[in-house]
Amino acid sequence: MVMTVLRRLGQTLFVLVGISVLVFLVFFATPGADPTARIAGRNASPETMARVRVEYGFDRPLPVQYARMMEKLFVTRDLTSYVNRGQKVVPEILEAAPVTVSLVSGAAVIWVVLSVVMGVIAAALRGSWVDRGLMMLGLVGISIPVFWLGQVVNLVTQSRYHESWLFSWVPGLGYVPLTEDPLGWFRALALPWLTLAVLFVGIYSRVLRADLVAVQSEDFMRTARAKGLSPARVLLVHGLRTSMITFVSLFGLDFAQLVGGGALLTEVVFGLQGVGRLTYQALSNLDLPLIMATVMYSAVFVVIANAVVDMLYLLLDPRVRDGR
Amino acid sequence: MRGSAARLLGVLPVLLLGVAGGAAHGMDDGALMVAHRGGTLRLTAASSGGSVDPQIAYEQQNLQIEAPVYDGLMAFPKSGCGDAVRPVPDLADGMPEIRDGGRTYVFRLRQGIRFSDGHVLDVEDVAATMRRIFRVNSPAAGPYFSNLLGAAPCLAGQGRCDLSNGVVADAAAGTVTFHLARPDTDFLYKLAFPQAAIVPAGTPGHDTGNVAPPGTGPYRITFYDPDRVMRLERNPYFRVWDGLAQPDGFPDRIVYSFGLDEEAEVTAVENGQYDWMLDMPPRDRLGELGDRYVPRVHLSDMLVVWYMEMNVRLAPFNVPEVRRALNDAVDRHAMVLHEGGPALAYPACDMIPRGIPSHDPECAYGRGASVAHPAPSWQGVDMARARALVAASGTAGQDVTVVTMNTSMGRVLGQAVRETLAELGYHAIVRPITPVVEFSYLQNTSNAVQIGFTGWQADYPAPGAFLHTLFACDSFHPSSDNSLNMSGFCDPAIDRLMDDAAAAQQGDPTRADAMWQQADAAIMAQAPVVPLVQTRRLDLVSARVGHVLSSAYYMVLLAQLWVH
Repeated sequence: MVMTVLRRLGQTLFVLVGISVLVFLVFFATPGADPTARIAGRNASPETMARVRVEYGFDRPLPVQYARMMEKLFVTRDLTSYVNRGQKVVPEILEAAPVTVSLVSGAAVIWVVLSVVMGVIAAALRGSWVDRGLMMLGLVGISIPVFWLGQVVNLVTQSRYHESWLFSWVPGLGYVPLTEDPLGWFRALALPWLTLAVLFVGIYSRVLRADLVAVQSEDFMRTARAKGLSPARVLLVHGLRTSMITFVSLFGLDFAQLVGGGALLTEVVFGLQGVGRLTYQALSNLDLPLIMATVMYSAVFVVIANAVVDMLYLLLDPRVRDGR
Repeated sequence: MRGSAARLLGVLPVLLLGVAGGAAHGMDDGALMVAHRGGTLRLTAASSGGSVDPQIAYEQQNLQIEAPVYDGLMAFPKSGCGDAVRPVPDLADGMPEIRDGGRTYVFRLRQGIRFSDGHVLDVEDVAATMRRIFRVNSPAAGPYFSNLLGAAPCLAGQGRCDLSNGVVADAAAGTVTFHLARPDTDFLYKLAFPQAAIVPAGTPGHDTGNVAPPGTGPYRITFYDPDRVMRLERNPYFRVWDGLAQPDGFPDRIVYSFGLDEEAEVTAVENGQYDWMLDMPPRDRLGELGDRYVPRVHLSDMLVVWYMEMNVRLAPFNVPEVRRALNDAVDRHAMVLHEGGPALAYPACDMIPRGIPSHDPECAYGRGASVAHPAPSWQGVDMARARALVAASGTAGQDVTVVTMNTSMGRVLGQAVRETLAELGYHAIVRPITPVVEFSYLQNTSNAVQIGFTGWQADYPAPGAFLHTLFACDSFHPSSDNSLNMSGFCDPAIDRLMDDAAAAQQGDPTRADAMWQQADAAIMAQAPVVPLVQTRRLDLVSARVGHVLSSAYYMVLLAQLWVH
């Protein structure tokens, strides 16, 4: 057990170091990315440029710069943005995280509930027009790019029909903290939740249906049926539980990458100041400290999610638990 | 594109009437203030403008929002009246006394002015601010204030920097005296540049980032989170001392939110969720604005020229004929249409934009024009002469890479120039790069850019801030990311002409303007650039906003907007 945890920690460290080195090197290999001129300001003299270079340590060898950045990011936690120089990136991400967590959690509830319902109905009515209709709907959801869907939602609800009774409740784009105004929080996030969930409802319902269909011919399902259990019980208790293994592992990874900043497009389109939008902003401005911080944050989430998914396997699949 | 341009053309007369009507209300009179004072003005922008430290901030966005927060000894008028591009006394109690042939400036400071923290402004604050410009590595330190006596160690950051010879504060007389190493006729413009805004002597000697030091204007920045919002409230110690330089503001509070993209900003202002947006509306929304929101749209001139810089040290643009050929061949009318039509852009033939007194509308290139006999304005392309020039140069068939910024404007204009180069016989390609990098990428000679698309809005509205900054020999710094003379152009004779024009500025401004025009014509005769367009600003406001006044320097005067 201890070895497993240590091994996992070692892997995490390896991944974080690898990614951070890569980000650092790619940044400095990009022509024109040297932040000195942007920090010094337009029309700054060579003397001012030289002082800025020394002050920010850009005159030091790359390994030293890398080490200093990692120290500021992880140890002293006072790494500041190159663009907004009063902005410390660690608190900046911690402030943005609740926005992303709110967005992703709400969307996750929607996509889990809807995809389970759709997947189960489709599997139960396999081959019928309901099955084909639901799966076609899922495919449409997968095919619609989220940024396009978001823009269309905004066009309809904020612009063209904003004054109509149907959408007059929709507030202006942006985030309202849950602690300030729970109803406002819900109203601000309802449409972003639905928009973000559409793709995942499509994927998850199709995956779940395929797994439920595949599991029908398994021995334990035949046994359950032979014991005289009702078809609904066989499907929901025995079939669904086993079929959730792929679902859960997918969910863990998707949820983690979304919380880690993967909901970038949704956040940008709906003006939500979450981690995804910070990542977008950092990339648009080539702001290395913020890029580094958002990438590290994302990587940490993905690694943790992998570990959590492994634990959940134990609970869901007796074969894993028993070491078979 | 054409449809929206045509619709805007249709509403142009109405828009211009709207601007004229707004300007008629320019006076900051007490009756208006009584009737319209109060309320919260809500502004929106895609992102914030970085540090709010006035000695550091250089993005137009922060210069605009900080205009009613800070004052310098001089200022460009902030009331919407008067000549917006000539500096007027602000914290100085009148124009300075200029001695020693323009090497000494003596300012008398206004009495009784307080900062927003209650501290009374005195001459030591002015001297400390000038030292702070160097201490915090302000971009203005080198180009604008290194001429102060004793500035060298300050600029290099070595030795003792007290500027005691360059800036002398006399508390008893209430004067501040500046001693320059050489006469500088732009010095009053430089003092009006917002980076010379006066802050209290005790302000930290480093970039204060998200914390705005106290200022003397009608507002103070009480909160700033660059990811979310900036809040401004009234400065309780502010009393109007000059309605032209720093009038009182109308709204009680200003809330500036960040995070919406341009599309969402337009919708939010249309819906009345915000009162004004910083970013220009995307082109696909122009038609809708022209159709439905004419009374809420305001147009104003900006002092910005968009141009192609050509590297005069790299083939094929090291041959003057090639540069002239491109000036003859690039269709400025098409560029204007790309930018939304004549309501939103003017064709540009030279590098001093209209709005600056030395601007000359004549064109040395294109149909019916020549360097010796310029046309009164852009008349259309002259492809025959352009092809002949290229043939004479023997450069046809060479590879040319057009570097442009990866924005809708950059891609469209870059592509148009690529097509023109192809018509002239070159193998041209376009390389769009991210806008945040492109500006410094073009400047660095190590990147060997042949031709690149960029724009220039000067720090202060004087001809030298365009011509000297972009074309003087001392503006060229090889292998540096900060070398605004991107063409690598250097002609000592033109440098002398610019120096003479600058010297004439103090005694004989009319003659100086004519000399700047000569310098501009001499530069364009050698064609290190292809001026393309001078764009205009389109400001959309919510239905509850009135009194929209613009200044060519600060854009819309935000504190002058009133909210119903």
